[in-house]
Amino acid sequence: MSSTLTEPTAPATTHDDHALKPEKSNLGLTRPDHNKSVLIDWLTTVDHKKIGIMYGAIALFFLLVGGIEALIIRAQLIVPENDLVTAERYNQLFTMHGTTMIFLAVMPLNAAFFNFLVPLQIGARDVAFPRINSFSLWTFVAGALVLNFSWLMQAFGELGWFTATGPTAGMTDFVPGMGWFGYAPLTERQFTGVGTDFWIMGLQILGIASLSASMNFVATIINMRAPGMKMMRLPVFTWMTLIVSLLIVFAFPAITIALGQLMFDRVFDTSFFQISEGGQPILWQHLFWIFGHPEVYILVLPAMGIVSEVLPTFSKKPLFGYSIVVFSGAVIGFLGFAVWSHHMFTTGLGKVATAAFSLLTMAIAVPTGVKIFNWIGTLWGGRVRFDAPMIFSIGFIWMFMMGGFSGIMHSAAPADAQQQDSYFVIAHFHYVAIGGILLASISGLYFWLPKMIGRMWAGKLSTWVAIFATIGLNVTFFPMHFLGLIGMPRRTHTYLSGFGWDGYNMVCTIGAFILGFSILLFVIDIILLITKGKPAGNDPWDARTLEWATTSPPRGYNFANTPIIPARDALWEHKHGAENRKITFVDEAKHGIHMPSQSWMPMVASVGFIPLGLGLCLMQAGVPYMGYVSISGLVIIALGVMLWAIEGPGGYHLHPKEDEI
Amino acid sequence: MSDAAPAHNDSHHSLMVNNKKLLMWLFLGSDCMFFGTMISTHLIYRKLYPESFDPTSLFSLELTSFSTFILLMSSALMAFAVSAMHKGNMKSFRRNTLGVIFFGLIFLACQVYEFTEFTHAGLTLKSGTFGSTFYMLTGTHGVHVAIGVFWLICMYFYSHTGKMDPHESAVDVEVAGLYWHFVDIVWIIIFTVIYLIEFIQ
Amino acid sequence: MSDTHSTPHADHSGEEQKHHTFINLALVLAAITGIELVLVYLPIHEAVVFSSLIALSLFKFFSVIAWFMHLIYDKMLLTLAFGTGLAIASGTVVALMFIMDRGFVDFEAISAF
Repeated sequence: MSSTLTEPTAPATTHDDHALKPEKSNLGLTRPDHNKSVLIDWLTTVDHKKIGIMYGAIALFFLLVGGIEALIIRAQLIVPENDLVTAERYNQLFTMHGTTMIFLAVMPLNAAFFNFLVPLQIGARDVAFPRINSFSLWTFVAGALVLNFSWLMQAFGELGWFTATGPTAGMTDFVPGMGWFGYAPLTERQFTGVGTDFWIMGLQILGIASLSASMNFVATIINMRAPGMKMMRLPVFTWMTLIVSLLIVFAFPAITIALGQLMFDRVFDTSFFQISEGGQPILWQHLFWIFGHPEVYILVLPAMGIVSEVLPTFSKKPLFGYSIVVFSGAVIGFLGFAVWSHHMFTTGLGKVATAAFSLLTMAIAVPTGVKIFNWIGTLWGGRVRFDAPMIFSIGFIWMFMMGGFSGIMHSAAPADAQQQDSYFVIAHFHYVAIGGILLASISGLYFWLPKMIGRMWAGKLSTWVAIFATIGLNVTFFPMHFLGLIGMPRRTHTYLSGFGWDGYNMVCTIGAFILGFSILLFVIDIILLITKGKPAGNDPWDARTLEWATTSPPRGYNFANTPIIPARDALWEHKHGAENRKITFVDEAKHGIHMPSQSWMPMVASVGFIPLGLGLCLMQAGVPYMGYVSISGLVIIALGVMLWAIEGPGGYHLHPKEDEI
Repeated sequence: MSDAAPAHNDSHHSLMVNNKKLLMWLFLGSDCMFFGTMISTHLIYRKLYPESFDPTSLFSLELTSFSTFILLMSSALMAFAVSAMHKGNMKSFRRNTLGVIFFGLIFLACQVYEFTEFTHAGLTLKSGTFGSTFYMLTGTHGVHVAIGVFWLICMYFYSHTGKMDPHESAVDVEVAGLYWHFVDIVWIIIFTVIYLIEFIQ
Repeated sequence: MSDTHSTPHADHSGEEQKHHTFINLALVLAAITGIELVLVYLPIHEAVVFSSLIALSLFKFFSVIAWFMHLIYDKMLLTLAFGTGLAIASGTVVALMFIMDRGFVDFEAISAF
């Protein structure tokens, strides 16, 4: 029953798909299956691959938006007492830069990888709940729209077309400007304007998107694995997806409540963080970082998963210490809940708490270090090929390690007392974020884009991307370690000459533009890939995991017959291993392949978040009747969910041809 | 392991746990953190300012014990409803579901009554940290109950359409049941932590 | 194709047993609520009342989870999924209670008191 897995790319045959007629749902409406309109097909899709591509495209867009915000910041700081932007605008820029990069760029980029890869890597046809997957995507879009609508309002404000009245009368900050972590009491009703409300609603909506997607992925990974795909045979990337999803499930509620409490303070006059009534702003910090610390592991673990796939592939060796790498990931995830107050060492927690959090933070370095040793062990003795994905993954190891070193320096609370709130912190997290997450994500894109769109990279532009990115990263952020230690504080829109900061700042700004240039080259490389790339074939990298056993791009149903998995690195074993370790297949020819139906309902439900979010923010800005708009948003969401429940999952059957994979 | 079953993404697979049930338990795990954070906030402010407000004059332990009892009994009825569904006894299922809805509405009525009384007595959302944490915690719980009641009402009406097949729908009923029970056990914690401990002499 | 825990046919006697367990548990829970109500008014030492209330609540909490919510009859995986959330939430509550202390409050700044 096994078909050959190393067939050259099958031509893009359309099956009987479009000849199939769409059925009616339990609501009596026609399901949007087999639609000839490309737009409707993509809007109603429940296909994890298409959803992944949409997440990825939007994420890359916002990566550029966040990057531009960063370049303006650096341009402002190039010389002392610069006046490129006002102080208020500067605050808004660093707030939106952080919020955009974390929630609108990295998280959806990770989601893109999870979505595209996980069902393929486990030998499934789709996720456990395809319509929830669609709901997550469109809710994410809604959140992104709500958050960035604030820029539009700011523009109106600047042009004099709109002034805030009502609860936030007299305040002109329509874009969030209180930092991506929104510390109370600055976020209280008397100190900041509608910007804070946009931030609250945007993040709440994005939180719902993340939560629903994560629960979906946990159910998928636990329940939808192909026969023989035991947990310890899963690719490391899938393991990391599982751990990250669990982290999201357990960490996001803390910020949901914190944001809710803040919203109540602003809208309903409660006293969660109002000092005059006894509210304790430090509680905000606790609740925020109880979410915030697991959040940074949510950001970085997928990157580690990507690197754990790329390194073995391009060393032609299995990952060194697979079990330990998986276990370390789990330990990092678990300990991540226990270290949150290391963001608060200078708030006066007291000796015991400070010591406890300091020790736990040092502890978390251990499994991280273990992973690094295992990656190096993977390279050691391998037949290393320096293709594009490999260059970036190797870069990840080194650059992430540097971020790790400054992190360990932070973990010593006495040292942190000097580093806190200085540029040293900025250096630390940009090394782990850019040196770590971004380089790994670029590695993943170089690795998997050919699978996703079916075309192969041409030329060696990737080498230049790598060179400029590395130079840019280091020129921008290495000096910041020193800048921080000689006293430059964070989040200041300008500085005076004479402190010895001038030279460093100029160097950092130049580095930022070099980094920006590398991203430009990367975008060009992607455009060249899409427009001029040659067909990639199923397995252009001679890889190890199941997704490379499908066509590029994979067919809608992923696998014509469900694979039966005999070992870890199943594809590699199939290609190069013993006879009894070849992949065999379940014969599903008679039954056909069951495909989930497409649907409008998840999107209908998601759309409701837009009036809900915008209504509340505009209400805070004094626009009349906006409360009703918010409520109508809730009604739309409820209606969408009800219709979704009643219409039923539907589904149809496909019968691929005999020799297709 | 390799029969036609794996094709339908509605059923169970490798670890033989139903997808929907797993999803609901994950959601409930997340909801633990959600309510845990709110309960923390309340407890923290009670620890910091015990003398700022004395709720014993306002709380009616009799009323709240009654509503707690009602919710507990509704949980029992829900368990019966799920059990009935598994046995394919639609009549019993509908009766018990109606019972849960009825008790849920009584609970909500008690909450509304309590909130109205407290507001008249001067305790509102704006009443310092106690008002904030009390109303947010019990209010959010009340919203959870209301959503549950709405869900069960929909389920009750859907059971009359004939589209509910005991085998296919048993898991949906079970999942609704899990949500309802969770709402009940959160109340058990809230009852102890907000009401009962204030009365200790 | 979506049977949830065991084959439907052999199950009815199991369902009957569970039904009885549910009834018994409902009665026990009602009784406990009554005991709690009485307990707060008894002239016993505060710490004893406090611990008893906590213990009784915990019993109610876990017994509803185990029996009404079926966890005791289901796969361990579900207990893990829920238990992790519960453990993290409890740990966080406890940690916060230790960290937040009256000693750090600046009572001068609170105009409401």
